[in-house]
Amino acid sequence: MVICMFRLSCKSMMFRVISKGRVKSPWIFHLNTGSCNGCDIEIVAAFAPRYDLERFGCLLVGSPRHADVLLVTGPVTRQMLPRLIRVYEQIPEPKVVVAVGTCASSGSPFLGSEMVEGPVDRIIPVDVYVIGCPPRPEAIVKGVVTAVKSKFR
Amino acid sequence: MDAAVAFITSFPLVLVVSLLFEGIDRKIHARMQKRIGPPIIQPFYDLIKLFNKERIIPVTASTRVFEIMPMIAAAASILGASILLSNTLSGLGMIGDLILVMYLLAMSSIALMVGGLASGNPYAAIGFSRKMSMMIAYEIPMFIAIISVAFGPPAVLTIDRVIKFQISTRLPLAVSSLSMASAAATLLLCIPAAASVVPFDIPEAKTEIIYGFLIEYGGPYLALAKIAKAVSNFTLTLLVSVVFLYIPSLLGEEALINLGISLSICLAVSLLIMFATITVPRTIFARLKIGQAFKFYWMLPLALSILSIILSVIGL
Repeated sequence: MVICMFRLSCKSMMFRVISKGRVKSPWIFHLNTGSCNGCDIEIVAAFAPRYDLERFGCLLVGSPRHADVLLVTGPVTRQMLPRLIRVYEQIPEPKVVVAVGTCASSGSPFLGSEMVEGPVDRIIPVDVYVIGCPPRPEAIVKGVVTAVKSKFR
Repeated sequence: MDAAVAFITSFPLVLVVSLLFEGIDRKIHARMQKRIGPPIIQPFYDLIKLFNKERIIPVTASTRVFEIMPMIAAAASILGASILLSNTLSGLGMIGDLILVMYLLAMSSIALMVGGLASGNPYAAIGFSRKMSMMIAYEIPMFIAIISVAFGPPAVLTIDRVIKFQISTRLPLAVSSLSMASAAATLLLCIPAAASVVPFDIPEAKTEIIYGFLIEYGGPYLALAKIAKAVSNFTLTLLVSVVFLYIPSLLGEEALINLGISLSICLAVSLLIMFATITVPRTIFARLKIGQAFKFYWMLPLALSILSIILSVIGL
């Protein structure tokens, strides 16, 4: 009984340590699926000294294999559809997806266009939507932190 | 201290200290850019996270080599660091362990290169070829600088003997003679390239070839690669601080009795060296082209290292 409880507590300790590590170091991969570059600029601004996403342990990584968080901007164009799926599959589990901007969240002005396959949640599961055209950097910071905290804890 | 005990205790010590060094480096880097920066224990969080992620092996990779190489890299660099640390602590050294440490450091970066090449990614191949040229550029001056210790006043290649020589002269080796000063300068100039930080991060240029040979590594393999890099950076700085700038030697014989004090002084000196050779360049410089880096290393450090050999043969 005692041993069982000890093992259980050890296990829960392990889980807590692991989830702490996951929450504290979300590495971000940013994918532009036909965005107008406005959201991309705001994402970069979120990493710049004023908002400093790195204080939450975030890093902007260049390879999806290193990433935990996928930031998708833009209404998914037909050309980007297979690439979006491929990048999503290349990110190792556990992962979260954040749709940044109104285009990625709802398809906004491009909804119903022949060239657009989006919005993003029609193709891959999205955890957090950050709306705005473009969203402010603090909204992006909050989106990433909320996504990580809700999914990894 | 008993040699076996020193060797076994130095394994966890090396891991913890080198990860803390990396955390401090990231924090100072952020503060210099007027950011708040990640907490100092950020590398530990990163490692916990990476070790608990999914393992993905690309279809183009040759699986065995791809899996094993990060382990070899991490093992080689941890072994190198703990040999250096335990021989500093215990005062028992093998003949030529300076060469062994340098070999293990080169081994760790070569293992990472080969593992990256085995992933079959073209960016990794570019990173491989660039790292190969960079290694030709910086390894030669570095080895000549280490070998000039054997030609110089200490006339040995054993870490422990070099320390005892510094204690007997009551001066750090870099200050004691002109040849050793230029050898120390060579080694300091080679650290940014060996650690591949920004002016010389050509092989893994993050914004250009996306971490080069690390591009396909993810999860536990990336964690091992990160450990290998952090520990080898720490080893380089500790090597300079023990072999060339052994400040506790100013205390004379007491440095051998109060091991704790001399070890903490050594670590503080290596932290300073890390600040000067890794953090500052990576904050204030932009990336060079491979030709420029090659030219720099074969103009200045190689000339300095050959000068140090010539001076030590003359007896200066």
